[in-house]
Amino acid sequence: MVIATDIIDSGQRRSRADARHDAWFRWLLRTCALLVLAALLGAALSTLWGGREVLFGDGLRFLTTTQWNPVENIYGAWAPIYGTLVTSLIAIVIAVPLSFGIALFLTEIAPAWLRTPVATAIELLAAIPSIIYGMWGLFVFVPFMAAHVDPLLDSSLGRLPLIGALFRGPPLGLGLLTAGIVLAVMIVPFISSVMREVFQTVPARLKESAYALGSTTWEVVWDIILPYTRQAVIGGIFLGLGRALGETMAVTFVLGNAYDLTASLLMPGTSISSSIANEFNEAAGLHRSALIALGFLLFVVTFIVLLIARWMLRSLKQKEGTA
Amino acid sequence: MSARIYRRRFALNIVAQTLASAAALLALVFLAWILWVTVSRGVQAIGVALFTKITAYADQGGLANAIVGSLIIDGMAIALCAPIGVMAGAYLAEYARGTRLGETIRFLNDILLSAPSIVLGLFVYVIVVLPMTAATGGSVTFSALAGSIALALIGLPVIVRTTDEMLQLVPSTLREAALSLGIPQWKLTVQVLMRAAGSGIVTGVLLALARLAGETAPLLFTAFGNNYMAYGPLAKMASLPAAIYQYTNDPNPALHAIAWAGALLITVFVLALSLVARALFASRKTHHD
Amino acid sequence: MTDLATAVHRGPAPAGSQPAAAQGADAARVKIAARDLNFYYNDFHAVKNIRMDIPERKVTAIIGPSGCGKSTLLRVFNRIYAIYPKLRAEGQVLLDGENILDPAYSLNRLRSKVGMVFQKPVPFPMTIHENIAYGIRHHETLSRAQIDERVEQALRAAALWDEVKDKLKRSALGLSGGQQQRLCIARGIALRPQVLLLDEPTSALDPIATGRIEQLIEELKRDYTIVIVTHNMQQAARVSDLTAFMYMGELIEFGDTEKIFTKPDKKQTEDYITGRFG
Repeated sequence: MVIATDIIDSGQRRSRADARHDAWFRWLLRTCALLVLAALLGAALSTLWGGREVLFGDGLRFLTTTQWNPVENIYGAWAPIYGTLVTSLIAIVIAVPLSFGIALFLTEIAPAWLRTPVATAIELLAAIPSIIYGMWGLFVFVPFMAAHVDPLLDSSLGRLPLIGALFRGPPLGLGLLTAGIVLAVMIVPFISSVMREVFQTVPARLKESAYALGSTTWEVVWDIILPYTRQAVIGGIFLGLGRALGETMAVTFVLGNAYDLTASLLMPGTSISSSIANEFNEAAGLHRSALIALGFLLFVVTFIVLLIARWMLRSLKQKEGTA
Repeated sequence: MSARIYRRRFALNIVAQTLASAAALLALVFLAWILWVTVSRGVQAIGVALFTKITAYADQGGLANAIVGSLIIDGMAIALCAPIGVMAGAYLAEYARGTRLGETIRFLNDILLSAPSIVLGLFVYVIVVLPMTAATGGSVTFSALAGSIALALIGLPVIVRTTDEMLQLVPSTLREAALSLGIPQWKLTVQVLMRAAGSGIVTGVLLALARLAGETAPLLFTAFGNNYMAYGPLAKMASLPAAIYQYTNDPNPALHAIAWAGALLITVFVLALSLVARALFASRKTHHD
Repeated sequence: MTDLATAVHRGPAPAGSQPAAAQGADAARVKIAARDLNFYYNDFHAVKNIRMDIPERKVTAIIGPSGCGKSTLLRVFNRIYAIYPKLRAEGQVLLDGENILDPAYSLNRLRSKVGMVFQKPVPFPMTIHENIAYGIRHHETLSRAQIDERVEQALRAAALWDEVKDKLKRSALGLSGGQQQRLCIARGIALRPQVLLLDEPTSALDPIATGRIEQLIEELKRDYTIVIVTHNMQQAARVSDLTAFMYMGELIEFGDTEKIFTKPDKKQTEDYITGRFG
């Protein structure tokens, strides 16, 4: 019996040790997981703190005025905000139809053997570091725009009433439009891969029954697939928008870094991220505070956009789960 | 009349299909264009000097210090984010499945995945660079360590997500089998499940490395840059992306050539990593189906 | 099979700890006793008021249509259900007279006494040797030689030794399905448990592998109390000494296998066995 109780005792000791180790391990893992929350919260709070002088000192004036003058220490952020919004908008306007076409091609049109290689190639676009986009944009795409696209726009769309003002200007190559296009190329892989993924979740029987009724591919896509996946498609677009808003290196070289506000998309501008990248290391005092405040703004806006995106995409996951 | 409707539908379909194919082609053209430019301009400046001389010699130099700096900073970044990310991912998959905290963290991790990297750089500037400057009286300001912390924040969500997904792919029967032998959950997680999901977790780490190795913006005000060779984690340190950024902004065309060579190095490294990760991932997926 | 005698020398608890169960020379002692056992998945009442005595060193089969609660019942016997949230068991399950549902009953102890083998073979992603040694190392501190010995004993007991003795250092994932399942049985008995729970252990195997497992069950019952869940009635008839028939979460009938399969008391049992069942 002594031996038997010994066995039980050592078993219980082991059992208790296991429970203790399990508790430690769980605590350790949870701490690591909470670091994800800490990173987001920390990014928001630290930039809020770093930009407090400007954010709380100038308040709304910081957002709405356009004078950005480090010499006089006056900071109005509307120009970079405007640049960020306009370039992202251009990117979305270009990237959404392109991505839709790509997703359509990859799910309904391309022969099966072509789908994976093409999809992989397009996803590689997302793997290329953004600074490469920036260099390519500055050294290759800017001259291309200056030589071919800008003059064409100036002499065609630029003559139209109302929207003409957007496309008039000297063929600099640099500017909001160029930055928007480079951003569009960057975010196409993100949007198209989401769209492709959600198009593939449409039950085959739904598509087959439409095809059986004599629908064309386009009709199936427009009448069946798109309505079925609308929410997730919007999520994908917001995901792309979030990327575009926060991108730095791809736009910094091609924007031209100018704080002038002009109607024309062919003129140089700036954006929140490129202002920070360009000026931060030479900035001090209030100037630095203004740049960090810009970072805070950028973070909050992208956070909200990405929140919407993930929310829309989350319901997709649930749909997949129950299907 | 019905023939006319039919013709119109048919024509619309042809137009739509053509445009969609053109969109795919256009994306491929851009990919080919960017890669071609990078390769053709990059190879011109690749030579022994690129790897042996430092940036202090400017257009007579190379990128040796930037290459070494990138290896150090990226290595430290991965060393920081891999264990934390794997453990956080394991928490989501093994301990927090279906819990509110788990869902919240998973959701926010996806947001961190696409958060603007420049803001993460500012974050690290405020919480690491500024306090270090204050604590050392300015003898330590920007540092390789700060740079690697910023990059770790970029790699972290990638690793969390893949680890979480890969562990969820492991069949629950494996958990039951181990637990029914009286193996405690921590041993099960570390010794059985992580081994079963091993190649998937490695994939996540490779993807994270590919992602953070190309990042520039967060390094500008954390690791800063250095025209000389530096090895210490508390020193200002050069890195390939930051050197490329600096050279691209310079009017000297000879520096542009060196920048392209650096760009080629990064691109080859990053694309090779993502292709390897992709292949690993694909083999793993088919293995499980 | 002489190795088995040493492999399981710990065997049952000392006689006398459970006098009430011993009723006669050949009437076996009760090993597991379920008392008013109920089981719930959320609000679904999956197992209802089960009362059954499972005798020591016999093979007890649990049969019944899919969803009748037979696997659920089995999974209560080692509390493996407890790893999932929102599942709960009420009542008592007595193992050698002690209630294993009592939260104070150590899971570690329970699981070293009650081994389990699952529907699909689930080898760990390790070598064949490691698969068996892993569990032993957790529960006992042994020398390398002792562990090697235990591994060999377990593999011999599971009738796998001759097939794998030359490739112990190779991954277990390279074994055939039937070999993997025998490896899982070996892994279970390496801990020297007293009870083996088999949850449809042959449903993923071919007939030849199934035959080997059934033969193995026959041999193992000399040393272990075995409870097997199966949807294959012929299998229950072939391997078991006692059979329990469950339907809609209730235990309809429980008795000698021969009796259950030849002249059951209940109409439902007869309908199920003769295949006249919806």
